Amino acid sequence: MSRLFIQLGAEGFLLGVLETLYMTVVSTAAAYVIGLPVGVLLRITDKDGLRPMPWLNRIVGFLVNILRSIPFIILIVALIPVSRAIVGTSIGNGAMIFMLIVAAAPYVARMVESSLKEVDGGVIEAARSMGAGTFTIIWKVYLPEARPSLIVGAVISTVTVLGYSAMAGTIAGGGLGAIAVTQARPSNAEDVIWLCVALIVIIVQVIQELGMLLARKTDRRLRSGGRKKKSSDGADLKTTETNS
Amino acid sequence: MIELRHITKEYASKEGTTLALDDVSLTVNDGEIFGIIGLSGAGKSTLVRCINLLERPTHGKVCIDGEELTAIGKKRLHVIRRNVGMIFQSFNLLEQRTAEGNIRFPLEIAGVRRRAAEARAKELLELVGLTEKAKSYPSQLSGGQKQRIAIARALALNPKYLLCDEATSALDPATTDSILQLLRRINRELGVTIVVITHEMRVVERVCDRVAVLDSSKIVEEGAVSDVFSFPQSEIAKQLIIPELIRSAEGGGGKKLRLVFHGETADSPIISKLAIECGVAVDILYADTKRIDGKTFGHMVISLPQDGEEEKVRRFLEQHQVSFKEEV
Repeated sequence: MSRLFIQLGAEGFLLGVLETLYMTVVSTAAAYVIGLPVGVLLRITDKDGLRPMPWLNRIVGFLVNILRSIPFIILIVALIPVSRAIVGTSIGNGAMIFMLIVAAAPYVARMVESSLKEVDGGVIEAARSMGAGTFTIIWKVYLPEARPSLIVGAVISTVTVLGYSAMAGTIAGGGLGAIAVTQARPSNAEDVIWLCVALIVIIVQVIQELGMLLARKTDRRLRSGGRKKKSSDGADLKTTETNS
Repeated sequence: MIELRHITKEYASKEGTTLALDDVSLTVNDGEIFGIIGLSGAGKSTLVRCINLLERPTHGKVCIDGEELTAIGKKRLHVIRRNVGMIFQSFNLLEQRTAEGNIRFPLEIAGVRRRAAEARAKELLELVGLTEKAKSYPSQLSGGQKQRIAIARALALNPKYLLCDEATSALDPATTDSILQLLRRINRELGVTIVVITHEMRVVERVCDRVAVLDSSKIVEEGAVSDVFSFPQSEIAKQLIIPELIRSAEGGGGKKLRLVFHGETADSPIISKLAIECGVAVDILYADTKRIDGKTFGHMVISLPQDGEEEKVRRFLEQHQVSFKEEV
C-alpha cells in the first residue's frame, strides 16, 4: 500500500467521491436550466417546428455547435479569464462548475432537441386541432411525451459531465479525478489511481442503472408486457375472467 | 355551416411549386355528414386541414358559421378550433397519458376545472363504450379502441363540427363498421356536423349524406350520395364507386345499358319481366346491389340484342321507372 493511500484514508477518498458528485450534480442541473429551454427553442424554430424561424435556429445552432466542438481541456484554459470575471475566481471547484456548465449546456440542448424530435408529429397536430397554443404544446405535449427519452438523455449527460469533472485537477479543483491525476500520478501511487477508477466506475454504474430504471418505469408505452398489449375487444373478457 | 371559397394551396419546394388544391369551393351544411373522397395524393388531407387552418390556404376564404377564419387572429382561431373536433388515421393519442387523461386533454387546454373535466371524461367514455378502459394507456388498446378514445377526446368540448381524416383507414372492416356506426350516432343524437375524408367508397356509402369527389387537386363532382352513386359523372368517381362496372362495360359488342335500381324497383324481378313481356334476351354483364342510407341501390349492366329491339326495352324500362344510361 502506498504512502499516499494511507495518508488519504477512507476520509480522503470519501471527500473525493463527494466532491465529484457535487460538481457533477450541480453543473448538470445548471446545464439543464440553460440547455432545456435552448433545446426546446431549437426544436420549435426548426423548419418543421411549431414556429419555424430559420435564421434564429441557425444562429443558436451555430453557437451550440461551436461550444460543442471545443475540447474540454482547451475550453478550461480559454475560460480562465471569463471565469475570473464572472465567478470571481479561476481555480477550485466553483470555477470548475462554471466551466462544466459552459461545456454541458450546449450538449444538453442537443440532447433535448433530439428527444423532442422523437415526439410524433401527429400528436402535435392533434393538440393544435384542439386549439392549443405553442406554450401549451411544449408544456403538455412535447415534454411529457418525450419524458422517457429526456431521462435517458439526462443520464448520458450526467455521465459525460462526470467524465469532464475528472479534469478539475488542472485548475486546482477536487474530486476523484484530481486525486488520481494531480496527487497519485506524480508519486506513482498506482493503488490510489485504481481505487479512483473503481469508485468512478461504481458511481457511473449507479447513475446509469437508476436513470434507466426511472426511464423504464415512467414510460407508459411499455407498460403492458408484450402479449397482453395486442388484446382485441373480445379477448379482454377472457383476461378479466382469469384475473378474478 | 362550413364554407370553403376558391381554396388554393401551393407548396414551395426546390423543384418548384406543387399545387395541392386548385380553386376548391364547397359548403358543408349543419347537421349533415359530408364525405370527401379521392385517391391518395388527390389533396384530401390538405383540404380537411384547411378547414381548421392546420394548413393555411395560399388563396381563398374559409368561413365557419359566417366567421372568416382566414382573417382572424391566432387567439380567436384557437377558440374556434375548440368547436371543431378532429380525428386522424393514426389516432394521435398521447402515449404517456391514460385513455381518460387523453379525453381530459382538450378540457385542460380550454381551462376546464379538474373535477368537471373528470366528470365529462366519464360521460364520454360511456358514450364510446369504453368505461372500463379509463385507466389504460394507448399501447394497451386495440386500433378500434384507440379511435373510440380519439373520438371521445374530439367531442370533449362539445364541438359543433367533427373532421375525420381517414379515420377508419387503419382499421379492419368489422372495426370500421363499428366506428362508422358510432359516427352516425354522434351525428344523429348529438347533432354534430361531420366531414369525412376517405378513399373508401364503402365509408361514404355507409354514413355520408353528400359527397364531393376530389381528383388531382380539384373537385370533379359533388352531390347527394345516392345521386353520385347512381350516376357517377367523372371518370374518377366511376372508378371509385364501381370499378367492376367499368371493366364489364369495356368488353363485348352491342349496345350496353347501365340500369340503376332504387327503392321498390330494386326488389322486383325486372329483368325476368323484361324478357317475358318484350320477348328479348338480354345478357347481364354486371350486377351488384348495395344499401345506402337504408335504401337498396342496384347497378346492372346489360347488353342488348342488336336487332332494333332497343326501343322496346327502353320503353319498358321507362314504364317501370328504372333509371338507365347508355354506356359506350
